[in-house]
Amino acid sequence: MSAAFQSSSRKSWRLATGFALAALACAILLGGVSAWLLGSVAIAGLSAAAFAFNFHIPAAFIRLFAVGRTAARYGERLTGHKAALTDQVARRVELFAAMAAAPAVRRAGWQLGDDARLADYLDDVEDLDYARLRAGLPALTLACGLAILIAGSAVLAPLSLLPITLLLLAILFAVNRMAKAGAMAWEQTRSLRRGGASRLGAAMASAVPLKAEGAWSRECAEALAALSRADGTLLALRRLQAGLDMIGAAFGPVAGTSVMAAAWHAGKQGAELLPPMLLAFSWLALGEAMNGASRMLVALLRRNAARAEIGQWMKAAPAGRPGSAPDGPLPRLLRHGALQRRAPDGRAIGTPVSLLLAPGQPTVLVGASGSGKTSLLKQIAGWIGDDALAAGDRILSASERRALVALVLHDAVILEDTVRANLFAGDVPDAALWRALEAVEMDGRIREAGGLDAWITQDKFSLGEVQRINLARAWLSSRPLVLLDEPTEHLDDAQGERILGRLLARFSDRIVVVSTHRATPLHETRTIELQP
Amino acid sequence: MKIAAVPAPLPDPVASPPAAFDALSSAERLARPGLRGLVALQAVRTALRLGFAATAAMAAGRLVMDEAVDPWLIGAMIALLAVACFAGFAAERMQASAENAVSTRLRSLAGERLGEIPARQLQSLSTGALVVSMQRHPESIAALLIGHRAATVMMAAGPLLAAMVLSFVSWQAALLVVCLTPVMILFFALVGDAIRRRADAQERAFGQLAGQFADRIRTLPTILANHATATEQAKLGQRLEGYAGKTIGLLRIAFANAGIIDFFASLSIAILAVFLGLGHLKLATIPGFSHLELWQSLFILMIAPEYFAPFRRFSEQYHAKAEGLAAAGALDRLLDAEPVTTKILPVLDRLRLTLPTHGLVAIVGPSGSGKSTLLRRFAGLEPGAMPAPGTHSLAAEKIAWVSTDAYVPEGTLAGAISWNAGALDRNRLEDVARAIGLLDDALLPGGLDARLDKGGANLSGGQRLRIAVARAQLCGRTVLADEPTAKLDRGTAEAVRDVLLEISRARLVVVATHDRDLAAAADIMVDLTHGDTVEVAA
Repeated sequence: MSAAFQSSSRKSWRLATGFALAALACAILLGGVSAWLLGSVAIAGLSAAAFAFNFHIPAAFIRLFAVGRTAARYGERLTGHKAALTDQVARRVELFAAMAAAPAVRRAGWQLGDDARLADYLDDVEDLDYARLRAGLPALTLACGLAILIAGSAVLAPLSLLPITLLLLAILFAVNRMAKAGAMAWEQTRSLRRGGASRLGAAMASAVPLKAEGAWSRECAEALAALSRADGTLLALRRLQAGLDMIGAAFGPVAGTSVMAAAWHAGKQGAELLPPMLLAFSWLALGEAMNGASRMLVALLRRNAARAEIGQWMKAAPAGRPGSAPDGPLPRLLRHGALQRRAPDGRAIGTPVSLLLAPGQPTVLVGASGSGKTSLLKQIAGWIGDDALAAGDRILSASERRALVALVLHDAVILEDTVRANLFAGDVPDAALWRALEAVEMDGRIREAGGLDAWITQDKFSLGEVQRINLARAWLSSRPLVLLDEPTEHLDDAQGERILGRLLARFSDRIVVVSTHRATPLHETRTIELQP
Repeated sequence: MKIAAVPAPLPDPVASPPAAFDALSSAERLARPGLRGLVALQAVRTALRLGFAATAAMAAGRLVMDEAVDPWLIGAMIALLAVACFAGFAAERMQASAENAVSTRLRSLAGERLGEIPARQLQSLSTGALVVSMQRHPESIAALLIGHRAATVMMAAGPLLAAMVLSFVSWQAALLVVCLTPVMILFFALVGDAIRRRADAQERAFGQLAGQFADRIRTLPTILANHATATEQAKLGQRLEGYAGKTIGLLRIAFANAGIIDFFASLSIAILAVFLGLGHLKLATIPGFSHLELWQSLFILMIAPEYFAPFRRFSEQYHAKAEGLAAAGALDRLLDAEPVTTKILPVLDRLRLTLPTHGLVAIVGPSGSGKSTLLRRFAGLEPGAMPAPGTHSLAAEKIAWVSTDAYVPEGTLAGAISWNAGALDRNRLEDVARAIGLLDDALLPGGLDARLDKGGANLSGGQRLRIAVARAQLCGRTVLADEPTAKLDRGTAEAVRDVLLEISRARLVVVATHDRDLAAAADIMVDLTHGDTVEVAA
């Protein structure tokens, strides 16, 4: 994150605030001064003073305020968005790093791989990004405008402060009420949406059984009804907004009227009423700015909810730095006398397993789906649990092992990036990359797609092709401990055997653990059978 | 018994596809009543605001010129303000209700459409995209059809009202303001063109960069597994900076749109103030701007900005239009998906089988020979002739379907087993769960009260299958099972086989399976191994 970028954000915000205040000032003065000018010329025009009236200076000021309002508003919008975008970049990069350290990433089932959850998450991040632009800046300018005009009213027409304060109190009361009710409504909307989404997803995943049993329309309708209920709570929020907007819309006109009424009541007449008229029309112009009050409040509510949500991910992040490769020679043998297998939520399952992992002799974990092969692999890799394995005369803790492991997950994905970036091989020469692709029989397909620098996305490839690219990543990795989770899933048997054979030949000097749900005809392996 | 290979006429592939789901036009029909009401309320609000501006100008002008102000004028002013605010309140509430009604109704229409899609095609849809679409797109479409359309109509009606009211005092002022409009629209057209050109040129770069953050969050476990966190973070920072820079460049032009409206609104005030001032000072006699009372000048000055306000409100809605159209397009694409081309298996059409009232029927054959398709035909899920005519018990609601993707509702294990199986007492549930090995599954602690997550996230395929088998045992219906022993270890597979055999003593059980043991225990075996003949062994 370049420092230049960060400092430019602060500068942009200062500039945006300046523009915003200037825009408000020009708007207020445009309304007030033009009304004052008309009043003055009307009074002057009745007498001979008409010819002596200095018309051009106020007229020039009016033109200045008119142009200034336009320019300042444009500047405010532009610099405000620039500042928000700059902040957005910085925040997202930080968020990426924080999420990468979150424990949820290493556990089973990455929730943000699901489209609906990811979309919700992105909405939250955007609510955070734009909160300052949508709520902070307008609120600040509004507050400044209010302060100046209240001061002016106190000087010119003190009695008008009574209705003004009353109305402000009414607004504050409405804001308070709306904040509480709105936060609850927003919370309900989110949880109903999430519930409906997961219900619909479950129904889609079981489409055939549900249709066969005649239960599809019922389940689908209930899932969609949950989503529509979410829309209903959102409707309640918008109704609250309408109430606040009504009071906000009345504010400017009421303030202006009360200023004129107070001045008249205080006995001012004729030309003495000109300054109060200026003030009254200024209040009218400020009242225009109050129109967006409810939107500011909603932006604030959403930001608070987003902050709470995203904070959930960072909770229980392990203290300490991520595992760095330990010094010293690489382990030649990993042992654990009785490794207690753990379910994803931490419970102990099954009997402890005795591990003896040596290079040159792959260990195969065999078990039906659901028997915990992936969990055991992640335990060996140090991703879950905090088991320590003995390596020679040293003990390797979980975080130390993480840096030594090439963990090849079976549900791995393709990044939206070039083929080269997807292989995660850094500065390795192209020839080595092509050799890896040939080993997994993807070289033809990649050449078709446009070579190593072609931009690829997940939906361009079938499950088997994605799996093979994943195995190519394993081929190119240089870590001493290689864990392959169901490497031949989605591949047909013959191809799977060939590719696995080549990989195991390449890894003959490393420690390899392979998990599979059907017994493979590999020789020279040590097998561990896992019972569910 | 062998059925001879007789070349049969090709089966009718698919019935004519249903009419396209046109989200936009269906929603338009739904939106019409609400839209009318909303536009009426907004027009009333505009009229009342203009009325307030008029009376306030009159009152202020008369006060400053030391003329008498009738109390009814003040009363009218306050009344107009109150009713105008209330009209605005009612309009906003009506907009919210109307949009909600349209989005709810559209969503249920989409749901009905989903119901018409055959099961096989449903499986091929992208679930994630569909769920996101159902969550969000109806309300975007509703916002387009109600909010945006209303703003469009008011962009015609509002300025017209303002010009009319203005012409009561000075038609020349109205003319001046109206003449500024075509100039403004010309500028809009120029700016709009510039935006379009720029956007086309940068769209590819945008597309690549816009989704980078989302993509990296989605693929975080893979990045972590490949030790690429630091490099990806640096790359993300670079790309997001580039994207932000390009976006700011585009915004310069996009905001010019709103800037034009601001400019013309301010320009009109400035010009009017000058003309009116000159008129009052009698320095220039411009027809329509001279010999006016103060209240008339104030009137003109207050109404003129109201002429431009609808344009500003319209430009604020611009993004709603783009979002709504994109949402409608996405929804149409998802729901109008091409029918999945199924392999034509004439052998299945020639199969005529009489299913017994109880017993085990096994359909065997290698992958791709059509076992699952035949099973789905039995259930009536696939187009094509019913291979077992006259068998009443295979209508929907009379079937229990067993497979690894069985539906498991959120809740307890007891609830999952008794779902769609009628009311059952706990002892029966326990017996059945124990027989199939669900009670002592180490990964489902708590026996019958084990918590099952939403969507069954913490269940494996094997566990789902066993829940479906337990359900099938309890519900008393015909059982159709698709690969009931796949993905299971030996012990569990045997338990499932035993349960299926037990069920088959009293009811009909049809299985499609690779499992030779299960097939051997069957009363009738339908062998699809040879693609052109069907062997039915009794």
